[in-house]
Amino acid sequence: MADQQHIRNFSIIAHIDHGKSTLADRFIQTCGGLSAREMSEQVLDSMDIERERGITIKAQSVTLHYKARNGETYQLNLIDTPGHVDFSYEVSRSLAACEGALLVVDAAQGVEAQSVANCYTAIEQGLEVLPVLNKIDLPSAEPERVCQEIEEIIGVPADEALRISAKTGFGVDDLLEQLVAKVPPPKGDPEAPLQALIIDSWFDNYLGVVSLVRVVNGFINRKQRITIMSTGKSHLVEKLGVFTPKPFDKEVLQTGEVGFVIAGIKDIFGAPVGDTITASDRPCKAPLPGFQQVQPRVFAGLYPVESDDYESLREALNKLHLNDAALQYEPETSQALGFGFRCGFLGMLHMEIIQERLEREYDLDLITTAPTVVYEVLKTDDTTIQIDNPSKLPPPNEIAEIREPIIEANILVPQDYLGNVITLCIEKRGVQTKMQYMGGQVSISFELPLSEVVLDFFDRLKSVSRGFASFDYEFRRFQAAPLIKLDILINGERVDALSLIVHRDISQSRGRDLVERMKDLIPRQMFEVAIQAAIGSKIIARSSVKAMRKNVLAKCYGGDITRKKKLLEKQKAGKKRMKQVGKIDIPQEAFLAVLRVNKDS
Amino acid sequence: MLAIPPLSLYIHIPWCVRKCPYCDFNSHRADGAPPESSYVNALLADLERELPAVAGRTVETIFIGGGTPSLFGADAIGALLAGVRARVEVAEEAEITLEANPGTAESGKFRGFREAGVNRLSIGVQSFEPEPLRRLGRIHGREEALRAADLAREAGFDNFNLDLMFGLPEQSPDQALEDLQTAIGLGPTHLSFYQLTLEPNTLFHKYPPPLPEDDAIWAMQREGQARLAEHGYCQYEVSAYGQEGFRCRHNLNYWRFGDYLGLGAGAHGKVTDPKTGTITRTWKIKHPQHYLDAAGQPERQGGRKKVERDELPFEFLMNALRLREGFAEALFFERTGLPVEILEPKLSACLDEGWLERRNGFLRCTETGYNFLDNVLQRFLR
Repeated sequence: MADQQHIRNFSIIAHIDHGKSTLADRFIQTCGGLSAREMSEQVLDSMDIERERGITIKAQSVTLHYKARNGETYQLNLIDTPGHVDFSYEVSRSLAACEGALLVVDAAQGVEAQSVANCYTAIEQGLEVLPVLNKIDLPSAEPERVCQEIEEIIGVPADEALRISAKTGFGVDDLLEQLVAKVPPPKGDPEAPLQALIIDSWFDNYLGVVSLVRVVNGFINRKQRITIMSTGKSHLVEKLGVFTPKPFDKEVLQTGEVGFVIAGIKDIFGAPVGDTITASDRPCKAPLPGFQQVQPRVFAGLYPVESDDYESLREALNKLHLNDAALQYEPETSQALGFGFRCGFLGMLHMEIIQERLEREYDLDLITTAPTVVYEVLKTDDTTIQIDNPSKLPPPNEIAEIREPIIEANILVPQDYLGNVITLCIEKRGVQTKMQYMGGQVSISFELPLSEVVLDFFDRLKSVSRGFASFDYEFRRFQAAPLIKLDILINGERVDALSLIVHRDISQSRGRDLVERMKDLIPRQMFEVAIQAAIGSKIIARSSVKAMRKNVLAKCYGGDITRKKKLLEKQKAGKKRMKQVGKIDIPQEAFLAVLRVNKDS
Repeated sequence: MLAIPPLSLYIHIPWCVRKCPYCDFNSHRADGAPPESSYVNALLADLERELPAVAGRTVETIFIGGGTPSLFGADAIGALLAGVRARVEVAEEAEITLEANPGTAESGKFRGFREAGVNRLSIGVQSFEPEPLRRLGRIHGREEALRAADLAREAGFDNFNLDLMFGLPEQSPDQALEDLQTAIGLGPTHLSFYQLTLEPNTLFHKYPPPLPEDDAIWAMQREGQARLAEHGYCQYEVSAYGQEGFRCRHNLNYWRFGDYLGLGAGAHGKVTDPKTGTITRTWKIKHPQHYLDAAGQPERQGGRKKVERDELPFEFLMNALRLREGFAEALFFERTGLPVEILEPKLSACLDEGWLERRNGFLRCTETGYNFLDNVLQRFLR
């Protein structure tokens, strides 16, 4: 067991593909003394167990024992951080559990905005940030330029940045040495009342909630009674331990250590991320700082294609919710789609993940309506309401003002693509707030309506910069704007699930684009389908899907029967993910048509 | 209770001079002369193994299809039919059809086929226009197509069908109607007038030719049907038109969910066993050489599978709704052993929707339902 002075808690900050997992694997291999083959087996085994139990896809942390060149053994706790802009709160909680962070930068590609944002968070929290240049073995590596970028953009000295290759193992030992030397040991008071930070919690079918914690002060024992501070509830610790990466049971987690705690908690809200655990018999005075209830930013309706699946969808959401505090849902009814749920997500990626899990793990066919942000509406009676569904907008005569959420986007882009990025941001109603040249890249900030960002901003940004631009955003405020509701009518019927809130200036063109796009997405039916876009009672655009003339197999004789049956089954399967609205089959894509508008214009 | 339905016999001859790019039947290019006598022997051995399942029953119709059965000599066809008659009772007035190519080589054999006992020919004309024929990969030309009908009649076939396609690559409605008019002018008793469709596993499916627009195809069908009716060809199935009294009895048995034995490479069969109340589908190994090699070893020659009760209603409808007259509700019970109510509530939904109609104890498609039969059928899937 390591004493406090020999513990090092750290995270790896890296952009996707910059080599975070390869480096982590390399650490496990070096410290565990396992061969590459054994290691992959071990890691895989552990994953299988996790999969069977339906917990998380990969270990959230790993505890390693590193024998340093000075002959002493250190306990290294590597804490994983989610790598997407949707999950910035989770990242901040992971970093709060560390004293140091490795900023891993691809020596060929340079710094990316997401790393910058996470790195700032790390610096703000007082972490020791060690820049590392990875993929130094690549012929296209430009360590000098990238070091300069790190200094200019992030503002941390890079003269001692190690040059490594996680792939070949080059420089990894030196990096571990540097880590031990430069990252300070955890401070914490072993004698103080217990304070442990919940870094992450997930739901296990057998064990209940498993929480990954960092013991900040005091220590935590098996069979001890603990209190979760936000709920005030007391629980008995049944099991605790560390991940190696396999779960390894222990009797105690000391000050500064990172490990898991299982205390018979039944749902994820019983142990929310960022909350503090203390001892029931000797509670601490105040929780650790920084705890927030997560706020969904993007909302969409989820409807079962088959209305019989409504209860299954409710159950599935319930289960996912146990494991994902950020997912919110409540029943809603749509005239067009029937019974479903309005769900709140952290962002588009989060929404896609949930949607995919519902379909894959719970075998549900779903229709997702176009994602929308929350609007604030000041009514003429001076009350303010929040709207997370365009069809719930009050009638125009009751609206004094509609306010939309504004975010500040921080974009990092090579100079060559700066013009394109500015054009894109202006098209998205952006207002520039900052611009700074740094090496070959430009850091530029825009205030943008969140609604424009959730649509297709990320994809567009990647496409106008050939993949080089990266970005990160933060919520700023609600701001009044001339917003109106755009309705879509199909064969004269207003389809509530297709309504959206748009800026008045672009409403005409958005309406035209949308009906054209829908015309291509709705398959031909037995009758003509008219598609119209309307603002209030005024039709602003129209198009139509021509009627199919017939749909019948020309030939079918005795021998073919099984094959023809399969053909019909296949045709029918193709109609899945289509929702019957009135008599019209509308495919999932049409509900998300608004996401496709402008994409290839 | 399942009743014993009429019994047909389908015999597959899997060879062609060459494979047409639209064809998804089990056909194989014949390199040199196909092994006629060993294949006939294999077919008869095949029949013998099927016989116990249909003991005591009479074969009402025989259809020799392909491939190109007319590649076989009249002697081989004669030996085949004699062999069949020696093993199973064939009704005196049985309809015995053979599929033939209009090429000169085949039409020279028509008289021999007639003498062998074939009493109906189905001639695969497809088109009379040289360019479409070339694109379809057909080996005959316009002249041969035109002469085939005369030769059939001269050979003693007063009952023959012409296969004709529409919606051919780059075909105009006028061209399609001209083809149809030419076919009608040849005076067949029966016409199969069907749209070219790009079937999976064909060359056309992989490299689609430029087909006419939907509206043009629709015009071909509508005007073609009017033209056929004018000349006394009554539509009784999606693509089948017959003169009074000359509907194809063999195909009608399929569509009425009758029984049939399937002999030959890739042939499918369907047999009802009223004792156990079960319906079994059978199939034979597809490749001709493998089929020949497996002769005498029934376990290698094919497979069989019981049709589950819950599959029967759909399979019945898939056939019977293709008929313009639909089906007598009593027939549904006779052929599936299930009450027609088992189709509820989907049946009522289709009636309400105006896709199906009920009249004089018959259920059939309305005009809309008939044109959208695939949509109607899909309602009954799952």
